[in-house]
Amino acid sequence: MSVASVPGQRVPGLIPARAGVGLRFPHHQAVIERSPRVAWFEVHTENYMGGGAPLRYLEAIRSDYPLSLHGVGLSLGRVDGLDADHLDRIVRLAARIEPGLVSEHLSWSISDGDYLGDLLPLPLTEEALDVVCDNVDRFQQALGRQILVENPSSYLRYRHSTIAESEFLVVVARRTGCGILCDVNNIFVSAANHGLDAHAYLAALPPAEVKELHLAGHTVKQLSDGAELRIDDHGSHVEPAVWALFRQAVLRFGARPTLIEWDSNIPALDVLVEQADQASAILLQPHESRTNVDAA
Amino acid sequence: MSTLREIQRAVARSIRSPDDGEALRHIADDMIAPADRLSIYRNNAAATLVGALRIAYPAVEKLVGAEFFEGAARIFIAQHPPRTAYLNDYGSEFADFLGAFPAAAELTYLPDVARLEWAVSSALNAPDVAALEPAALVGLAASEHDRIRFVPHPSVRLLSLHYPADVIWRAVLGGDDAALAAIALTGEPLWLLVHRGSEGVAVRRLTQEEARLTAMLCSGSALSEAMPERDSAVFVALLADHLAQGRFAAFATRDPDRAANGHGD
Repeated sequence: MSVASVPGQRVPGLIPARAGVGLRFPHHQAVIERSPRVAWFEVHTENYMGGGAPLRYLEAIRSDYPLSLHGVGLSLGRVDGLDADHLDRIVRLAARIEPGLVSEHLSWSISDGDYLGDLLPLPLTEEALDVVCDNVDRFQQALGRQILVENPSSYLRYRHSTIAESEFLVVVARRTGCGILCDVNNIFVSAANHGLDAHAYLAALPPAEVKELHLAGHTVKQLSDGAELRIDDHGSHVEPAVWALFRQAVLRFGARPTLIEWDSNIPALDVLVEQADQASAILLQPHESRTNVDAA
Repeated sequence: MSTLREIQRAVARSIRSPDDGEALRHIADDMIAPADRLSIYRNNAAATLVGALRIAYPAVEKLVGAEFFEGAARIFIAQHPPRTAYLNDYGSEFADFLGAFPAAAELTYLPDVARLEWAVSSALNAPDVAALEPAALVGLAASEHDRIRFVPHPSVRLLSLHYPADVIWRAVLGGDDAALAAIALTGEPLWLLVHRGSEGVAVRRLTQEEARLTAMLCSGSALSEAMPERDSAVFVALLADHLAQGRFAAFATRDPDRAANGHGD
């Protein structure tokens, strides 16, 4: 019975400050059969809300690896408060899997009860800040634990926005006690799409609040007028420029659990393990300047 | 100044349907045209939702082709947007939609194939609930047998169709063109039982009588109501099969409503 999990004999749930891999269905069997040298896995919460085979695989993998639950559909920017049914599904899955981390996005994806199918950026206003903080509070109360909130990749900004996204995240963390999931690729993509400074974004995040980092590949879309938009499609290797920004992030924040995400054109598991090894090598480098930056 | 709700409504409208221009007023106009920025989300959202339908309806997609499927799916999504991000739950109305979709009118069997695929998909994703062990019935007094009411396993689906959707489904997903060509597409009543057991999801044909009895057993009828003459060979074999395959999750020997009110007999 390779897919049977034994409750009570799991590895501890804490996510180490090393590189993990985003686990998708095509690799369930390979992970169980080969036990790859990956420190931890992260899954999309919404993929395991039913019963049957996916959940059996997840429990089997959980018995050998720490797991993180990464949600893509709770809509922390929902003006009507969180969807109680969806929240309940997350709470039940978390109780069953005992994840080391639970995270969601600084975004909205539901309007008047209709789910739109993508993570949309919020107008960064005081009003949105109140909405997000209320929803994060409710999420953390329902789970009985801290969550992490991730900066989204974005292709548009709103005229109404009055607060920088990095500052917005910091205030949400201060007011709710949540942590920050710093997606380095998203910072790179958003900064390029809006002509902003990715390094300034990193510098605005307080190291103590950053509990996890994400890395992924993206593509460049040529628009008809010759302009370019960077698209966060999680469909290729991490770009050299994003690796460079990641080194800056590790220097600033110190070693943090770091995830390789790859969701489209999913490659062989070995490719993901190789990307994770690259991230681990950077995480394990001495980062002497951290103490100084922390104190700043 | 617009409220967050107003901005989200305008952007949601723009993502779901032809743009009324309202959303563009809210988007910063720098470097790249707001319409181009918004269209990235429109495309991503459509790809996600069409993808969810593709996962649930692989045989329908193979039957109509990827391009037709995407076109139909986009119209369906506009008419029936998902109400949750748990997308395994999305798409239950697709069969009825296809039945009323003029462009698919000639494919008379298509809605039934979709009904079967939805049953299979929802059985695959049904909650984990332990099956009733037949041994649990052993200690019952004979006088209690009439009052047994079963609770179906949450993965059980009973379908009443008019085309051989099971044969089409297997041939299409198996890539068996010869079998597909041999299927007689004359409409005849057909009953299918779908259930997720220990070996995965199984699709079994039922006779009309088996379907009637199964429907009663799965709707909470007492055995005495489901089958006054319980010694019928068909009934005994059917009940034994349901129990052996784990198609029930529990049973009670009292009327649930009366028991809940404290008047159980």
